[in-house]
Amino acid sequence: MSVVAQSERAVVRARSERWAPVLATLLALVLVAAVAEIVLDGAVGHSPLIPKSPAIAGWLAGVGERLGYRVFLIALLASTGAYAGLLALCGIAGNADARGGAQRTGASPRGAISARAAIALVAALQLLVFAGPILISTDVFSYIAYARMGVEHGLNPYLHGPAAIVGDPVFRYVGQDWIHVATAYGPLYTLLSYPLAPLGVVGALWGMKLEALLASAGTLALTWRCARERGFDPPTAMLAVGANPLYVIYGLGGAHNDLIMMLAMMGAVSLTILGTPSGRREAGAAALVVAGALVKATVAVLLPFMILSRRRPAPILGALAAVALGALVGYLAFGIHGIDVVAALNRDAAFVSSDSFATELAHLVGKPGVFPVDHDLLKAALVLIVVHLLWRTWRGYDWIAASGWALLAISVTSTWLLAWYILWPLPLAVVSRDRRLLAATLAIQALFVAHQLSPLLAPAQ
Amino acid sequence: MNGTPTTATAGDARWERLPSWLRPRTSEARGTGQLRLVETTLLVLAGVLLAAATINDLHRQVGINHRLRADLATWRQYTGHTYHELTVDQELLGAGSEHEVVCGNASPGPPKARPQICLAIWGATVNGRRTVHGGWYLRANVEYDVFADRYGCFGAAGQGRCPP
Repeated sequence: MSVVAQSERAVVRARSERWAPVLATLLALVLVAAVAEIVLDGAVGHSPLIPKSPAIAGWLAGVGERLGYRVFLIALLASTGAYAGLLALCGIAGNADARGGAQRTGASPRGAISARAAIALVAALQLLVFAGPILISTDVFSYIAYARMGVEHGLNPYLHGPAAIVGDPVFRYVGQDWIHVATAYGPLYTLLSYPLAPLGVVGALWGMKLEALLASAGTLALTWRCARERGFDPPTAMLAVGANPLYVIYGLGGAHNDLIMMLAMMGAVSLTILGTPSGRREAGAAALVVAGALVKATVAVLLPFMILSRRRPAPILGALAAVALGALVGYLAFGIHGIDVVAALNRDAAFVSSDSFATELAHLVGKPGVFPVDHDLLKAALVLIVVHLLWRTWRGYDWIAASGWALLAISVTSTWLLAWYILWPLPLAVVSRDRRLLAATLAIQALFVAHQLSPLLAPAQ
Repeated sequence: MNGTPTTATAGDARWERLPSWLRPRTSEARGTGQLRLVETTLLVLAGVLLAAATINDLHRQVGINHRLRADLATWRQYTGHTYHELTVDQELLGAGSEHEVVCGNASPGPPKARPQICLAIWGATVNGRRTVHGGWYLRANVEYDVFADRYGCFGAAGQGRCPP
């Protein structure tokens, strides 16, 4: 390389280092402003995007206006654009560092966004949403209803839907589609939710929000540590998860228990890649995956990849011990229905949502919707993908990436797709050695956001 | 898939009886990159297909929204009320038929607290309106539009839709 070319590159790098922090600050402000707009307008209530809820955010209600689709979608688009810009900036700075031969020591990339600024931004976004109303989904009220069924009414939430407690104060907040549906969540999650039941609906709601916030903080801390261990820039990895608009607005905004599942998932990943490898750590990691599956069954898909990559008895023994303990506790607490995960999965697999890619593909080929044969085709496709990933893992492919691909495939082939389902692979994607996984996960999320835009392009009212 | 340079196998005697292509590896062999190329091509093709499906569905939804907007405007013009709390049923007259039933209060009051007037609407959108082909009334305080709660059916679309 000529001296002239080298000096030109140095000039370009120096310029980009000057403007990158300014641009990053602007993008961070856009992200915070967009989320604040949704939270403050949502606090006013009476919005199709805010589920009927006790007035937990009334003190924020004086600032905003009723949240309509138009404002929500503009804010969602703005936050998505700012998030993409921030990631691009971090990527650019990271590449510049790599070219310059800078040490990757866990400090943020030079010129883009400092570790302290990244933490401040993510904390601001999470706390904003924590302080505000429940966004988009009524699921959290189903969680509270199941807990109150067990604790306050002596009913088994694996046998009855919330309709069994019509007189309970939480019933009026449960989504209409779910009032006859028994819980599909694992017994560990149900038991975790029980201590919140006696706190009343408002107390339990704050408890659920706090659980989601703490689970999110734990997931982000583990993502940071895993990224550092694998040679990625920790602030960028944490930003990619913690500032993700779907993660913040839909995941944390709805206080979804997927965040607890993801904490267990990242706990398992960190046990396998941090510290000195040992049989005890691998058994613990497998047990954590099982614990996550006893919150929400989907995460169990990590287990075969972990076991195949290790090829030692420790993770198998750890998983078996955790399954035995979980089954015993689940059986004692809820009877046989509390541990019949397959029945719950089969029931949910039959649901169809308008946001699922399966429905979109059906419309693309001129069908009115998804038919039973389509469910079978999608299951077959998923099996093929998982078998291919298992084979690749056997032959040395990064098991964390394989698990991420499997989770992404589950959400893409599911006929019942919700925004927080496409968050599952995200923490794995940012610490995986196959960067295609991160690109694919973000692309799927972008398509999901694009699919929400019709009220913006043609308001129905 | 990561192309990391690696040493050979798991180094475990248990697997030595297997042919080399079947033996487990602790890290991936640096191959010719063909598998990665095939995988990436399939991923790109899947991405293009999903993007096409998303754009097509977005276009379809925009079309539906335009039609629903015309339906609501038609209801307001027909009844002379400017209410916003209206419900639209897209399946009662056949899913995918583009025949809709729009219901709203026949007199001022909270949503569904008064008898409702329901209009069966279909046809082309002209000047932001579609054609009313008949309808019926619904008793007050009912959540769903069911046969037993209807009365005063009128027009071609109302024929046989009310209890005798």
